Amino acid sequence: MKVWKGFLAAMVALPLVAGNAMAQSAEQLKTLVVAVPSDPVSLEPGTNKAEPVGSEIILNVFDTLVAWTAPDFKDLEGRLATGWTVSADGKQFDFKLRDGVKFQDGTPFDAAAVKFSLERTKATNSYVKATFDLIKDISVVSPSEVKITLTAAYPAFLSILAQPQSAIVSPTAVEKYGDKFAANPVGTGPFVFKSAQADTNVVLEANPDYFRGAPKLSKIIYRVIPDASTRRLELESGGVDIVQQQGQLSAIAAEDIEALKGNKDVKVLETSSQIIRQLEFNNNKKDGPFANVKAREAIAHAIDYDGLLQGVFGGTAERVYGPLTSNSWAFNPKMKELAPAYDPELAKKLLVEAGVDPSSINLKLYSFQGPLWGAVATFVQANLADIGINATIEQTEFPALRALQTSGQFDVALDGRQPWYNDPDAHITIGYLSSLADTAMTFRMPGDKDLDDLIVKAQQTSDMEARKKLYFEVQEEIAKRVPGAYLFSPKLIVFTRANVEGLVVNSAPPLNEYWSVYKK
Amino acid sequence: MASFIIRRLIALIPVMCIVLVIVFSLVRLIPGDPAVTLLGPGATQAQIDALRAQLDLDQPVVFQFLHYVGGLLQGDFGLSLKTGLPVAQEIVLRLPATIELSVFAVMVAVIFGIPIGVLSAIRPNSLFDHITRVVSLVGVSMPAFLLALILQLVFGTYLGWLPVSGRMSSFITAEHITGFAILDGLLSGDLAATWSAVQHLILPTAVLAAFLAATLGRFVRNTMLDVMGEDFIRTARAKGLRRADVVLNHGLRNSLLPAITVIGLKFAEMLGGAILTETIFAWPGIGRYMFEAIKNRDYPVIQGTTLVFALLFVITSIIVDVLYGVLDPRVRKKMK
Repeated sequence: MKVWKGFLAAMVALPLVAGNAMAQSAEQLKTLVVAVPSDPVSLEPGTNKAEPVGSEIILNVFDTLVAWTAPDFKDLEGRLATGWTVSADGKQFDFKLRDGVKFQDGTPFDAAAVKFSLERTKATNSYVKATFDLIKDISVVSPSEVKITLTAAYPAFLSILAQPQSAIVSPTAVEKYGDKFAANPVGTGPFVFKSAQADTNVVLEANPDYFRGAPKLSKIIYRVIPDASTRRLELESGGVDIVQQQGQLSAIAAEDIEALKGNKDVKVLETSSQIIRQLEFNNNKKDGPFANVKAREAIAHAIDYDGLLQGVFGGTAERVYGPLTSNSWAFNPKMKELAPAYDPELAKKLLVEAGVDPSSINLKLYSFQGPLWGAVATFVQANLADIGINATIEQTEFPALRALQTSGQFDVALDGRQPWYNDPDAHITIGYLSSLADTAMTFRMPGDKDLDDLIVKAQQTSDMEARKKLYFEVQEEIAKRVPGAYLFSPKLIVFTRANVEGLVVNSAPPLNEYWSVYKK
Repeated sequence: MASFIIRRLIALIPVMCIVLVIVFSLVRLIPGDPAVTLLGPGATQAQIDALRAQLDLDQPVVFQFLHYVGGLLQGDFGLSLKTGLPVAQEIVLRLPATIELSVFAVMVAVIFGIPIGVLSAIRPNSLFDHITRVVSLVGVSMPAFLLALILQLVFGTYLGWLPVSGRMSSFITAEHITGFAILDGLLSGDLAATWSAVQHLILPTAVLAAFLAATLGRFVRNTMLDVMGEDFIRTARAKGLRRADVVLNHGLRNSLLPAITVIGLKFAEMLGGAILTETIFAWPGIGRYMFEAIKNRDYPVIQGTTLVFALLFVITSIIVDVLYGVLDPRVRKKMK
């Protein structure tokens, strides 16, 4: 009976519901709807594996000790820390903590919470094992002072502390919820976690007591929309306020970006990223056409870099001159001169000098799936054909390509890296240190004591100016070895409705903070 | 009849066992390592090895299989590799959305498809017949994603009449009772939620129903034409029965039997088609769950969802067989 009553009432009230929709618009103006491609995997620092959706929510619900300063993200600022000093040997970090901050559940924030959070992440989060294992000791000096001691000097540690995995959690909430903490995350951040519905949405509400002042929005709804064209249509029809490119090559095609730029209801925010996409050689291979550095150089000169940027990306990507992007604080300006120029004649000559007959090469060009990777692969394939090399494109899913790469079963592959912490270490060490050749993300560099020593020294030097010089040297040394052809760096692109204001797009990690965002 | 159903249900066991073996081995033949996918770019080999050990992936496949079957017998579908949540619970959470969508789609398809087929058949080669034949040809051949995109563009973006995607407005917090959004809305007397659920259901239903309605229309037209040429129809006409009586009671009733097989088979197919439709419309159902799982190499989820799809398929075919018995006395006799 109840059903029929409800049904009857529904029929009668339909026109009223339409009126109700108008009343909602005031609420909608205070609510930001963000389109995301999938559910967050983990909403808490103890298990987060740098997956973008969960990481961004963590940065809005929790705070870290330090964060990169908007809008250019070249300097660190204090968040839960007000200041810090690093010892001369680079192993000790002393933090002064902010007074009077409370977690969203009312627990006061103090040094003990910092110690608790970081030790917890160290114990439970395998993703940051490599860096968190450097932590020898965390000691509470006073409620507002904490001292972190590392086993070795690691200046990039401050960047690591700005990561979502290093966010400070409420010890009381962790104790209360136990292993259900990820479903009930509690931090000190500008937004409070409200609810999550599988494959549907995650809802955050404003934290009125936030220590930097209450956010201007009253609510954030992360809507899960897996299909890229649906995300675009939702943005155009006003169903969502923000669609993020997330730096993924396959998110929205260049022609769609052009179309959205022409839509007056939509704003397109672009910013340089630190992502590098490259054609990489299997540098560990002792035989094959590319064992000779001249042959690798030939390939680097065969590629029409500017043509690729204009033809395939229509200006949504930038040139990369070497192992670091030009917006990195450690970028060596000399790399612009050292970078190989497009010169097919020189490429052919180099092949002759290397003693390689291009017609004898039958290359498999591995690449990820997705139309944009396909376009890049086709472009490179055509460039290689110009110097007489026949390449077939093999577009492979991410796990399968990784398996091929870690086992070394390739000559060349299109690949890339998106650094998650704002430090040259994120590109250089993992990419080029020979001892890491068999790990998942690398150019598979052969043993090379000079280069390896230089990389480790640059990683560990704490004087930032000296460190920068070392990275200058590292870049030149790597370029001499031609481990790959650096193709392009896609810009980070965020699409918003025209009335969204105050958003600053961060480059490493490419995650947005919504504290300052509001709708007109 | 009861013994027939019981026999069919018992026959279900070996079928499901075969499905289980096939799915288990096929899933492991997909190239790529779930541990690599889960850890993403930048993971070290040590991390990958540790995770492989944690997930039993370093064990022999036979061991993994026995372990899995052992769990299944206790109703344990395993834990999702991606989220660490129990797969059975995750499937139960998403099943209502898929069932709601496919049941509505079948209803819409039957409501449109059968009358169109009948009307075309009683006036073959009329203008109506020509139009419906062209339309149904388009319906059969148009890929679902294209139809979805057109509907989203026209009704969502340009006209703004219907939501582009989702199952419920983000601004409505609906009560969760049965998991069926419309029913929950009615049960809790929440009109806004009910209305929002109906609005969100229209476009995905149309996409799923289009193919079935078109297939059904063409099919019913053809069988009706055959049946209307039979001797017993001439007899019925000769007895002086009203035209409607002849068409509905004699013609349609005899054409419906094969149509039910088509509906049954297509319904099961539709559950598979839901993978695409659910992904495009951001519909939180089991098809999309499976799609994500395949992308992530989430073995337990792929296995669990495939088993559920297989089970639904088999159950649908049993229901079709039973309906045959209900509609056709000759079949009923054989069942005994």
